[in-house]
Amino acid sequence: MTIRTILVDDHADFRRLAQVLLSELDEVELIAMGEDGEEAVRLCEEHRPDLLLCDIAMPRMGGVQATRLIKAQDDAPVVALVSIYGDAEHRSHAIKAGAEHFINKVDFLPAVADLVHTMAGGTHV
Amino acid sequence: MSESRIVVIDQDEDRAREIGAILHFLDFTPCVFEDLATAQASDIRPRDALAVVLGRLPLGGSHDFAQWWTADPKHAPALLLPEYGEDTLTFDPTDVWQLAYPVQQSQLTEILRRISIRHLHAQNGTDAPALGPSGETPAIQRVRHMIEQVAGYDTSVLITGESGTGKEVVARAIHAQSSRNALPFVAVNCGAIPAELLESELFGHEKGAFTGAISTRQGRFELAEGGTLFLDEIGDMSLPMQVKLLRVLQERSFERVGSNQTRHCDVRIVAATHRDLEERIADGKFREDLYYRLNVFPIEMPALRERAADLPELIGEFRALLEDKGRGSVELSPDTVACLQEYAWPGNVRELSNLIERLAVLHPNQVVSTDMLPERYRRRQRDGGATMLRSAESGSQQLPEEGLDLREHIRQIESRLIEQALDASDGVVAHAANLLKLRRTTLVEKLRKYQIHRPQNAQAHG
Repeated sequence: MTIRTILVDDHADFRRLAQVLLSELDEVELIAMGEDGEEAVRLCEEHRPDLLLCDIAMPRMGGVQATRLIKAQDDAPVVALVSIYGDAEHRSHAIKAGAEHFINKVDFLPAVADLVHTMAGGTHV
Repeated sequence: MSESRIVVIDQDEDRAREIGAILHFLDFTPCVFEDLATAQASDIRPRDALAVVLGRLPLGGSHDFAQWWTADPKHAPALLLPEYGEDTLTFDPTDVWQLAYPVQQSQLTEILRRISIRHLHAQNGTDAPALGPSGETPAIQRVRHMIEQVAGYDTSVLITGESGTGKEVVARAIHAQSSRNALPFVAVNCGAIPAELLESELFGHEKGAFTGAISTRQGRFELAEGGTLFLDEIGDMSLPMQVKLLRVLQERSFERVGSNQTRHCDVRIVAATHRDLEERIADGKFREDLYYRLNVFPIEMPALRERAADLPELIGEFRALLEDKGRGSVELSPDTVACLQEYAWPGNVRELSNLIERLAVLHPNQVVSTDMLPERYRRRQRDGGATMLRSAESGSQQLPEEGLDLREHIRQIESRLIEQALDASDGVVAHAANLLKLRRTTLVEKLRKYQIHRPQNAQAHG
């Protein structure tokens, strides 16, 4: 099973890097990328992905608020919020907003690899 | 949301560029300006940024800056480089941080981490005006009446109600209508801050009090001096912290972490929780003496489904807020509003606010018809949720003459419904959680609590 994935981050260099890293994961099919929270909401509505990887800090609308709006949609995707911070407070805000996962950017590749591996294995995360 | 834009204003071009590069490296979006006028002429407003870093400004520039920046009541906090010589900023001290130069990455990271958390807290609260919860239903009029009754006294207030009902709106209204309204209203979410950090957050700390205490910080009690301290999610506070809070309430004094100097405080306490504190007391998780200290004047916020008639007014208010933020607008057809009035709103006013914002993003400046709503909002009464509520409210649940053990009765209803949801979803916990509008982890917790074992799904889906 491939995991249809959308990546949203305001930094073009991070998107480029993440794109390369994600291409190494067989389970991931990267179907769209966006630059801010509003785009995340629109892309998820349009493409109905399995997984959204979304930065927390972005201009205009960040990942936490975007998650709240995305979780209102039918068949909302699994949301993993990505942050340069790994602390409990950021994590708590992410989880309270409805995100299933919270990933520190430092661990991006191994954390996403674990996550999609579990998802592709048929296990509901 | 947490914002990524940080404004940098510094006449020292090289330094401005260097700080911009560091911020970019730290995953922020720097907006670098070499003079104030260019910054003011840009489309970024003081409320749009996460923070502003100030370096050297021309003579009189700091005054002009402060005038521009603080004219926006929701302006971002400021980080001052050493060269920002003037101390005339008319800022709230909680909004100003001193930044060393050359920049120490650990210091900058820690300041921005704290600002980011505050930003998330602020975003989590509603932006509703301090006039009080809007609506004309008797339930909400009663709440407004209670706010008027209690605002003028220094009585502690305990606000209860389901998550998302707008408890902070009530707290802000109490503050706004009190004689303390010219002094700060400071909110702390006790549930979001780890127990080990809450003490320093509330009471402040001295430099070096613990690893990471790189400078002396005032706590929320000091920042709220003369004003109101709003302790949200008080039911989630750890027992040791409850003891410390109780002492402050009794003695009106406290010490910063790492200091033995006692400080007196004059702060009005308004606390809130979505939890049943009496149940937490029975479970040994909340101190009874603290409960009685806080529960001097209880106010219960009604759930949104109990005041569905207020929906049109609330929708109008959220639309106005979005327009005010420059986030576009959206209109709902009368049918759509009627349909939403039938929905059970487990997430209450916050869920409504999120839905309106979502519709504004997806259908800007359009009229939203019923078919543009997500499925769950279109189910109306044919859906189990609403039917269930009705049957629970109607005569099918008569109180037996001899009374009943309410907690046990609710346990039985809850576990029966969980079993049904698991059956309906072939034992897949995540699907059952969707049916019950619970988070998967919450359901897993309940399965453990009620000792419901589902061997067929334990391995694959547990």
